[in-house]
Amino acid sequence: MSSEGPVVFDPADFGAIPSSRSLRQWMRTTRRRHADRSFWQIFEDVYLVVFTLAMVGATGGNVVHHLNSSAARCTSSTCGELTLWMPWIVVPLLLATTIRMLLAVGPVSASRATGFWLLATPVNRAALLRPTYRLVVAVVAVTGFVVAGIVWALLGTVWIGFLEAAVLIAALLVCAGIATVWAQQSARRSRWTLRIADLLLIAAVVPAVVLALRPDPLRGAQIANVVVTGFDTNLVDEYDHAVAARLMFTSVETHFLLLAAVVVILAVALVVVTSQTLDKLSRNSVIAGGELLAGLAGAASSLDISMLGDVIAGRHWRMKGRVRSHRGRGSRGGAIVHREFRRVLRWPRRLIIGFALLVVPYAVSGAGFGALVPVAAGFAGFIAVRPMLDGLRSVCRSTGLTRALGMDLRELRVIMAVVPGFFAALWTGLASPAIGSGAATFAVAAGILSGAVRQASARPPSYAGPLVASPMGAIPPGLFSQPARGFDLLLVCMAPVLLNLSGTWVVAIPAVILAVMFSIRPKTD
Amino acid sequence: MSPASSRAGGKSAARLAVKDLQHKYGDRPVIEGLTFTLAAGQAIALVGPNGAGKTTVLKCIVGSAEPAAGKILLDGLPIDERVEVVRRDVATLLDDLDFFPDLTAAEHLDLLARAHGNAAPEDLVDTILDDIGLLPAADQLPGSLSSGQRRRLALATALVRPRKLMVLDEPEARLDTDGVRWLSDRLVAEKKSGTSILFASHDPALVEAVADSVVTLTPLP
Repeated sequence: MSSEGPVVFDPADFGAIPSSRSLRQWMRTTRRRHADRSFWQIFEDVYLVVFTLAMVGATGGNVVHHLNSSAARCTSSTCGELTLWMPWIVVPLLLATTIRMLLAVGPVSASRATGFWLLATPVNRAALLRPTYRLVVAVVAVTGFVVAGIVWALLGTVWIGFLEAAVLIAALLVCAGIATVWAQQSARRSRWTLRIADLLLIAAVVPAVVLALRPDPLRGAQIANVVVTGFDTNLVDEYDHAVAARLMFTSVETHFLLLAAVVVILAVALVVVTSQTLDKLSRNSVIAGGELLAGLAGAASSLDISMLGDVIAGRHWRMKGRVRSHRGRGSRGGAIVHREFRRVLRWPRRLIIGFALLVVPYAVSGAGFGALVPVAAGFAGFIAVRPMLDGLRSVCRSTGLTRALGMDLRELRVIMAVVPGFFAALWTGLASPAIGSGAATFAVAAGILSGAVRQASARPPSYAGPLVASPMGAIPPGLFSQPARGFDLLLVCMAPVLLNLSGTWVVAIPAVILAVMFSIRPKTD
Repeated sequence: MSPASSRAGGKSAARLAVKDLQHKYGDRPVIEGLTFTLAAGQAIALVGPNGAGKTTVLKCIVGSAEPAAGKILLDGLPIDERVEVVRRDVATLLDDLDFFPDLTAAEHLDLLARAHGNAAPEDLVDTILDDIGLLPAADQLPGSLSSGQRRRLALATALVRPRKLMVLDEPEARLDTDGVRWLSDRLVAEKKSGTSILFASHDPALVEAVADSVVTLTPLP
């Protein structure tokens, strides 16, 4: 290092601050000089992606179309109830999910590199962040449109009806997205917005609970629809619920259209106004989301659902920073069970959501889909129990930690499944009246536990070993089966229930799976 | 931190003024009642053991952490990194540095100089790379730089742009003996040119050579 260089700042070297556009253009030009792939190579990749999307879209569209036709022909009271109730569950649920997810990733985010090399400079921050902002708005609008379109199509609505619903909900979600951009500008606003998301979640649970309890669900939905749309389904023969629902949708088309138009105009206005306030976003808030997105993208590229959860949990604990220490009790296995119990209690929101998911089997049962209750209970229970196995996951992914605990991994897996196992038993016990028989309840509980344990103790795909050639390049064997890990055992345990086998099989198959699961040693790297 | 443990310069025309700064992690206070002022062309060193809150103070000043209470003023105005002038005048070197994987060392500095209004920074960048001993690595991508080279590149970011205040967190980290000597000379030169420097350090020799005042932080119970 020289000590003679002209380090001292000379103001003459520096003039007007460049525009964001010119800086980005400079980066594009510079990067192009390093390009190591030809246009045709890039075109081939893009073609592959577009072709895949077109295939998946066409197949999915066809399935939705068929289900739409089937639902449209359904005239049972169950179909009518679902048509009336689903919007009251789906819309607040979509809004709450959108707000929570967007606030977790920013929603306006940037990489650490962008944060340091661009956002920390005097270049107009709003202009630098605007492309990301537009991308967020576009993604929210398209996702909202597709999800709402599918839900309404599945309810048997005619195409113009679900088109209107999709536009309205996409616009609503864009408004929610803009609210999160506004909330991102201060920690206090973020806290309030998260509370609103929680309220929306409760608002989604309420109709599901009502549907589950079924005092007179149709009447409740009628009241709600009258409040919002001004159309009273009581005018129609109250026994022909499905016809009533469809008639209502047809009659309120004008209201719906008007509402959609108003919300779209509001959304566009909010998008424009908020884009002028992007310079109020702090670099920190923008980078935090970027880091999370980078972690999630890494997990998604290995199709590892558990790793997605790890990234989110890791961020949660980093933000928390500090909690009160609790001394342990007992020794060896007992101490670990106690520690796991304390760890589960340390994130009470997960417990609350876990218990709130109990509404799912009851709602499905209440809607009249008795055959689907075990499946619904299995998946809802899986979502409730799986987060409690984070401890097992840490141990399975860290040979150092396993060594430090001084036990065999097989033994540790059994010990660390005690608390989640207890919760799975409690959860399915509470869901038992909806599930039906005791044998089916056992099968669901076993499926939830074995599936969750399998997913938590699965090895991540390893790029260090032999790879398999694919159109996407070399991939580790088992990459594509990665997302199914856990759910496979869940389904195997529930298969005897779904196939209506005798009680002996319903108990025996899940029992064998549980026994095998806990007797073998999980594979490690 | 105990206010009595600080001995910092206090000119009336302070470039940076920190008044009653408080910061908490959850309920645990990390910094309490920290007050000091830094004049133009002066340097203050923050010293103290690990966990005393040195980096937290620097983060509060550059806007990466939000103080629980207190005021931080730059040239008499509340410091806020969202304000363009603050981003123009304050050069920072904390642990938040990351690189674009597809831009070379020289291109990174080029980008930064351009973003600060230098339309033709090639000569300046070359001179600084030479000065910091990175000219042979100018065309290397960040992934191929050693940790010491990355650190030098990080230091170069503070030199390739205009600055009134430099906020540096352990600038001597990962530098060899010659590098620390060079750093010491550079910071002294910076002071002479009117730049104020606030830095945290564990190197007594660097503190002795550069700092006009020392603020000693101690971990709060």
